[in-house]
Amino acid sequence: MTVVPAQQSGGGGGSSGLYDVLELVLDRGLVIDAFVRVSLVGIEILKIDIRIVVASVDTYLRFAEACNRLDLEAGPRKSPGLPDIVGDITESGARGKSKGALSGAAETISDAFKEARDESRGEERPRPRKTAARRKRQEEQE
Amino acid sequence: MSTYVYGITARSHAGVPDGLTGVGEPPRPVRSVTAGDLVALVSDAPEGLRPKRRDLLAHQAVLAEAGAGGCVLPMRFGSVAPDDDTVADVLGERTDHYRERLDALDGRVEYNVKASHVEEAVLHRVMAESPDVRAVAEANRKAGGGSYEDKLRLGEMVAAAVKAREVEDGAALEQALESAAEAVSVGPESTGWLANVSFLVEQEAAESFLAAAEQARADMPHLEIRVNGPLPPYSFVEPGPAEPAGTTAGGADADAGAG
Repeated sequence: MTVVPAQQSGGGGGSSGLYDVLELVLDRGLVIDAFVRVSLVGIEILKIDIRIVVASVDTYLRFAEACNRLDLEAGPRKSPGLPDIVGDITESGARGKSKGALSGAAETISDAFKEARDESRGEERPRPRKTAARRKRQEEQE
Repeated sequence: MSTYVYGITARSHAGVPDGLTGVGEPPRPVRSVTAGDLVALVSDAPEGLRPKRRDLLAHQAVLAEAGAGGCVLPMRFGSVAPDDDTVADVLGERTDHYRERLDALDGRVEYNVKASHVEEAVLHRVMAESPDVRAVAEANRKAGGGSYEDKLRLGEMVAAAVKAREVEDGAALEQALESAAEAVSVGPESTGWLANVSFLVEQEAAESFLAAAEQARADMPHLEIRVNGPLPPYSFVEPGPAEPAGTTAGGADADAGAG
């Protein structure tokens, strides 16, 4: 997949941030009332996310489990490997929950976001088991 | 044939790079529509355009390429005019406004910064800072994890504490970076991040901005900080003078960033 070189992250350690950039393309930039805008139901998605995930029973239970497991003797960021794993859990939790709230009209854009997010993560740190996302992407490109 | 608009630039701009293509399948060639001092970067608008990933990226790619040749005011994705003449009319009517923005943004780029908590690290902090949370967690652990209600109670306490830290850490991050930028535009909230802030940075000062971001990473190891840029100044174009209030989700944010 082609990512525009000029848009690569300037900061060391940052992700390629395709998802982050798409958010700007969709939600910022000049709007001129004399022009029609393509229907972008998906713009609401970012806001839908907020309401769903922040205060849900699932989040509480997940935090409770995490706290039970937490080893207070260890430093706050002892193993650099751990954040990745935690990040994955967070991601999949949020993704699962937002699914039901998306209307059909919003699916296209939500897919675009998810794919972008998958993709930028994939580039950042390749992981196995991405085949489903990849297959889906290929289908869309065909 | 309707006209898809990518951005607006000055006539002094280096021009559309040869072979540049934009949205659509096959991608439509990008061309320019000139009116007075201003040039709009456009292409034919494909039928049935939807916000597909490919087209979002094409929009972004055109702006990135064109941005290398001089300041371009980026349009939001999906702006379609009935024809080229309408585009030229708009440029003519609002020349002063766009010229002012092009001058103001000349030589400047946007860096978007998003940050989220490293979950384990923030939970550590929350536990370390709150004897109450520690006590409940300890009781649950002794009870083999605790009942469903116990877990909910602990989780709710922790979630509230995490939320409070998100606000604090978001503000701290913004503060750490704002002195290296000319302007700041706070983006929409979402659960994906605790801070979503765009900074307008002089191209020549980009290094010091990135250094500040690195410093923030070092100072706040419990945050995962993602810096994206240089980008077209999406968050600093201001809403157009005739934009009806409340039509777009990002209008208020653009306002906030304009000052």
